[in-house]
Amino acid sequence: MKRFLSALLICCMLLSMGIFSAVAEEAPLTIDIYDAAANYHGVQIGWFAKVVKDRFNIELNIIAPQVAGNDLYATRAEEGNLGDIIIVDKKDFSDLLTAGLVRDISDKLPECENIMRFKTQIDVYNQGLTGQEGVYYGIPSEMTDTSPTTLTDDVIYSSPMLRWDLYSQIGRPEIKDLDGLLDVLAQIHEIHPKNAEGDPAYPFTLWRDWDGNDNMIGIANVVQLTTWYGEKIKQSAILKPDNTFIKIYDRDGAYYKITKWLNKAYQMGLVDPESGEQDWNSVMNKLQTGRADLMWYSWETGFWNSVDRLSDGTAFIFIPVGDQLYYADADRYYGSDRMFGIGSKVEGEKYDRIMAFLDWYAGPEGVTFQHAGIEGLNYTVGEDGKFVPFHDDALMNNLPVPEEYGGGGYNDGNNAINQWIVSSICVNPLTGERYAIKFWQSYKDMTMTEMKREWQERFGAEDPVDYMKKNGQLLASPSVDFTPASDTNDIAPIRVDVNKQLCTYTWQLIFCETDEDFEALWDKMVEKMDGFGYEQLYEYDVAIYQAEVDAKVAAAQ
Amino acid sequence: MEKQRAKPAINYRRRRSYMEFLYILPFLLLVGLFSYFPLYGWVYAFHDYRPPFPISSETFVGFKWFTYVFSNRVRANDVLRVLRNTFAMSGISLLFSWFPMVFAVFLNEIKCRPYQKFVQTVTTLPNFISWVLVYSIAFNVFGSFGAVNSVMMDMGWITKPISFMKSSEHIWFKMWLWLTWKNAGWAAIMYLAAIAGIDEQMIEAAKVDGATRMQIIWNITIPSILPTYFVIVMLNIASFLSNGMEQYYVFQNDFNRDFIEVLDLYVYNYATSGTGNYPLSTALSMLKSIVSVILLAGANGFSKLVRGEGFI
Repeated sequence: MKRFLSALLICCMLLSMGIFSAVAEEAPLTIDIYDAAANYHGVQIGWFAKVVKDRFNIELNIIAPQVAGNDLYATRAEEGNLGDIIIVDKKDFSDLLTAGLVRDISDKLPECENIMRFKTQIDVYNQGLTGQEGVYYGIPSEMTDTSPTTLTDDVIYSSPMLRWDLYSQIGRPEIKDLDGLLDVLAQIHEIHPKNAEGDPAYPFTLWRDWDGNDNMIGIANVVQLTTWYGEKIKQSAILKPDNTFIKIYDRDGAYYKITKWLNKAYQMGLVDPESGEQDWNSVMNKLQTGRADLMWYSWETGFWNSVDRLSDGTAFIFIPVGDQLYYADADRYYGSDRMFGIGSKVEGEKYDRIMAFLDWYAGPEGVTFQHAGIEGLNYTVGEDGKFVPFHDDALMNNLPVPEEYGGGGYNDGNNAINQWIVSSICVNPLTGERYAIKFWQSYKDMTMTEMKREWQERFGAEDPVDYMKKNGQLLASPSVDFTPASDTNDIAPIRVDVNKQLCTYTWQLIFCETDEDFEALWDKMVEKMDGFGYEQLYEYDVAIYQAEVDAKVAAAQ
Repeated sequence: MEKQRAKPAINYRRRRSYMEFLYILPFLLLVGLFSYFPLYGWVYAFHDYRPPFPISSETFVGFKWFTYVFSNRVRANDVLRVLRNTFAMSGISLLFSWFPMVFAVFLNEIKCRPYQKFVQTVTTLPNFISWVLVYSIAFNVFGSFGAVNSVMMDMGWITKPISFMKSSEHIWFKMWLWLTWKNAGWAAIMYLAAIAGIDEQMIEAAKVDGATRMQIIWNITIPSILPTYFVIVMLNIASFLSNGMEQYYVFQNDFNRDFIEVLDLYVYNYATSGTGNYPLSTALSMLKSIVSVILLAGANGFSKLVRGEGFI
């Protein structure tokens, strides 16, 4: 009997301990994140998984249409449950609200202190969505704490960038226009025909798998370069610097100008012959191995520039071209094109925990993890409490993460949500500096190299944006809250067809052997696009984007 | 008395046929689930469906998307272009469908067993490589910096790489070559099995009569495996319009798309690029099914006419 009683007692003790610990820790929870931004499909792994698990006992199951296919959107919507957290484009978000797939979060959102630091922007968006005050459905992403017209970055999204050592070797000539740039690139190609390993290097290496993306028709490489002349492609129309629209195939537009220029480069033998058959992964590899002499996305430099290369002067840096006017988006005060929302099936305790997670995700600790990484691995804290970069190649080289932080490779375990509520431009209350590493004083000191001093001396400016401002070559477009309508079924096939024609012909145009061929092929392209209903598409797009232009004009004043 | 005796017999037969029906029931269920149930998706062709909005009576538009395909000359021409590519590439495959058979016959003639096995293994292996990998092989061999171009440049035969991948010249034939490289060995297996089934006595008798090797092939082997060949041709005709999109999807680029885009790829591109349009894609693939059924019925009729027996 005694034995039985003691066994019973022990059982009771064990049971109660179990219950208490469960209450203290909260039960494990897996949340589905339908994430249009993610490049990884599956359960979050590695160090970021550990960060979230330790704090919330939550596992993140990422559902990525970019990886698993766009059909996911249709099938999951048909089921009536897209996910617990939903991250989609703004235009889709409006549709989801109409279809009843997102949840009203008016009750909990005002309690989220960190997110509500951006109350102005959240109010503007949600009032635009529902027309009511105090009713919340969506949280914009990548909002900044600056203003709609500020431009905080010192380098804009797209501008011509050359390797400083090669540019110096040919005597740092002044470049007046695109032809001048081609001359410079031809000289660079002459002294740098191969990289260190002996593989051929070219000024232009183009890729085709991004064509027709990001609300723009046409091939990605041409579309991006049109911003060098202050022109911004809005779907099938070009927005000129004077806020008027012209057709994308108009010979006065930058799409023609850049295509023609790339063709000239091809005729001069400056275009990598693999352009048009290779994909982005192949190009990325070439950037990392020094097989490209020209870069045009600011982030592309991340595949080459390092503290070492900035020191020995072999890094890429902005080189101004006299006749250009650089289009840049001002700080995204009202957020980027994507929205955070909560699925309509989320209820009760799960709802509370998800909102708590999101608030942390937008709080100083969460944002530091997203933009700066792990203390002791990616940065150290100096005596003044400010951060000092450490292992700044962790992402690029997928450095191993110590077991105490979750193990695995750094890049493998990086935050797979790949979308933030708070922009890296915002000021971190923990340090008083901005979240992004490039704004830290310590980083600036580390990278203030001889090369940068030479650049400043040559061009008489602090940094690229400073140069553009001083020379009147910057066109900063203010941030506004704008949601384009999603395509109707009548417009969608026209867009598919017109885009296909434009991409197909643009590639062939770049590889034309003579100018006569080029002009003849351009005319043929225009005829084909018109045949597929380009006129109708153009009018549809202009009607939609005129509203955005009006808002921008108002914001600028 | 008569009646009483007959009754259990009928019951027994009925029970037996019921039992036999149960044997095939699982297969009927599978066919129903995987072949007929998906046809429910055809309803989307008759609606103005756009995710995330569900279909309802308000979205019904009848045959709008079927007529849309032929609504304007340029678009109709585009569909014809795609059909041309589909027919051309399927046609070439059909035209050369005897190739695996002849390959199997000659393979069978190799007397050195280890060598025969070696050839068979080497030719069968590519069947198990995915098209994505086949493309990366092609890219590494025929790309602008690929093996072929490198060798020719090093030899000094050419000064500028030849863009094999970017050219649309002979693209249909090139596609057939890749398909054959990948499939010939695998397709030959069926014929090898048929050859193994040929009565040894016939061949020995022919040998006694003094027939040469070629005569045996021509008069015994080939006639014996011809029925197998016809069944396979038949199956090919049924899938004439669905010649698979993976191969063309990986090989397509902006320089050869005009000639490489087949119906399946065309439908795929509509449904998935940009915002996409599901009803139009569904309507196109329905048209495809209808044409396939017509082709199959035609081939079956032809076979009845020529051989006196059909396949269905």
